[in-house]
Amino acid sequence: MRGALQSLTVLLPTLYMLCAILHGMAFGGVRAPQVSGLRRFVVRATIAVHIAFFWLRGAAVGHFPVADLWTTVSAVALATAFLYAGLARHLKHPGTGGVVLGLVLLLQLLASSFGTVEPVARVGGMGAFQVLHVSTSVLAAAAVLLSGIHGALYLVLFRELRERRFGALFDHLPDLDWLATMTRRSALAGFVGLTIGLNVGLWMAHREQPGQFDYRASEVMLSLILWIHFGVVAFSGVIRGFGARRTSIAATVGLIALLLSPILIFFPGRSFHSGI
Amino acid sequence: MDPKLTLTLVGISHRTAPVAVRERYVVSQADLASALGSLLQIAGVSEAFVLSTCNRTEVLVVGEHGVDLAPSVRAQVFRNLAEDHTYVYHDTQALIHVFRIAAGLDSVVVGESEILAQLKRGADTAQQVQSLGALLKPLLQHVLHAGKRVRSETEIGQGTLSVARVAVDIAARVFSRFDRCRALIVGAGETGLLVARHLKDRGIGTLVFANRTLENAQAVSTELGAQAFALDALPRLIPAADLVIACVEGGSQPIDTGVFDTHKLSKRERPQLVIDLSVPRAVAPDVARRPNLLLYDLDDLARVVQENRRGREGSSEGSAEILVAELHKFLALRTYASFTPAIAAMRERFDCVRDEVLDSIAGARSDPKDMELAHVLAKRLLDTALAHMKESARQTRSEDALDREYQRFLENL
Repeated sequence: MRGALQSLTVLLPTLYMLCAILHGMAFGGVRAPQVSGLRRFVVRATIAVHIAFFWLRGAAVGHFPVADLWTTVSAVALATAFLYAGLARHLKHPGTGGVVLGLVLLLQLLASSFGTVEPVARVGGMGAFQVLHVSTSVLAAAAVLLSGIHGALYLVLFRELRERRFGALFDHLPDLDWLATMTRRSALAGFVGLTIGLNVGLWMAHREQPGQFDYRASEVMLSLILWIHFGVVAFSGVIRGFGARRTSIAATVGLIALLLSPILIFFPGRSFHSGI
Repeated sequence: MDPKLTLTLVGISHRTAPVAVRERYVVSQADLASALGSLLQIAGVSEAFVLSTCNRTEVLVVGEHGVDLAPSVRAQVFRNLAEDHTYVYHDTQALIHVFRIAAGLDSVVVGESEILAQLKRGADTAQQVQSLGALLKPLLQHVLHAGKRVRSETEIGQGTLSVARVAVDIAARVFSRFDRCRALIVGAGETGLLVARHLKDRGIGTLVFANRTLENAQAVSTELGAQAFALDALPRLIPAADLVIACVEGGSQPIDTGVFDTHKLSKRERPQLVIDLSVPRAVAPDVARRPNLLLYDLDDLARVVQENRRGREGSSEGSAEILVAELHKFLALRTYASFTPAIAAMRERFDCVRDEVLDSIAGARSDPKDMELAHVLAKRLLDTALAHMKESARQTRSEDALDREYQRFLENL
């Protein structure tokens, strides 16, 4: 099993790199049916391989496999690729895949580089609520990541249009409306995931550490801020005066906060996740 | 060409001047007749033609050989304009340029066919004011024919773009679904109608026309299922529109910058897209600085289609062949036309000789067979002579020489 896990640890970044290259080609205008077919196949195959990787790790430790920092990062990478594949299939535009899967590649590369090949078993395993908390949080992180990426791309394209630059970004990025829709829909998915994950987490914290739980813990504060922040992004369509551009700015700020969150959550002392 | 005449073309176009310059030298349809009249007043000018579109203002004049008419034309039509914004062509070079214009090779959107209608309209006006003569009238007819031939026989006209289509394509970079958009078209002229048709094809949700003459707006609105308003409704219509396309013909900026309210714009859900296809421009350029607003003019559209131009340059090779052939045919016809007095004299002389011969032969006029023989013989001889003249007219300038001249023209562009 160790051999298989080691192989998959190396194979996954390679596969995500292939996905990013094929999507990058689509961004560059290569959209022949054969290439599109290959692109879809490689993304699905990569997701399947990644699921197999987690299944093997779960089988090795005997519980839900996402229990340490770098496995969580890898899970966020998988969830992002999975959500993107679903959304791209629904919205039929490969133009942002290169950027999304490029970020997924980066996450998986970090996870493969710094994570341990041998999965570490958690004492006492993981209960159903823990699994629910982790999986919804991971999905939420992936969704807000997508929201942030599309928000940032909206701002990039808006700037190109405003500056009257009609180059590759103008040609190959999806239209502003599409990017705004993706930003809001992903934020909504993230908001729902965060709502569940956060509430389950808080409930568990109160149950497992009666009287000791501190709301000032960095991950709680950050999660609450992100929850409110992406709630505003998700429902910005009905907030008067909060147009697509402001939504995109907010989503981009959220993305930066999310990318910085591991530093806040896992490294300072005042965190109950820092021991993971 | 008639060696006694000189053809001179002076112009500005999107190649040499930005829209901010071009808009100052537009000759509106209403002013065209008086402009032609003024050109005919220039000493030495016998014929004149003006083509003025949003992308070019070109003046074509015919004068006596050896007289440089360009300075006078410049002073008349392009007053106070730096010389580097204009170009001047003479004789064959001028002909090549006009043929290329008709073929759509010099257009912002290569191959667009709107230019043919604009040439035809210009020719009709010139015909009405009698500024066309023995050279320009057949030239414009031939040029229109060549333009149609290039479009029907090469790939240049396939999937033809137009400025209107490019404008709608830009809108598609902002809006995913046109059925949720409200488009306002200011100006119910030809371009406005073309834009409206493209928007209809894309399934635009709400289409509104605003025009100086309400009746004209109503007429096009009925055809397209749109709403029609007069220009005084613009302060109300513009803030409500997602897409504003201005295609106003002539006049100064009819869209007040005040209607683009900064506060309202910043609160919009999506940016307001304003595309100004008017020359002179209908929207002040500084409106582009307002938040959440994207403003484009014709120069911006020209940059968007540069990629398209590169794609179509391959197909313009076939059009060069057609244009050179048509130009050769035109010049041969012109040379042959210069033989007209000689042909008339020759015909007369042939008839005379035939009658003399018939008179000299006793009883020949009373025999119908002899009469017919004399007539057929005279006609055959005349036809043979004319065929030789036509051939010599055709060979006055070889097609290869014209082709070389065409290549030289392209090199100097």
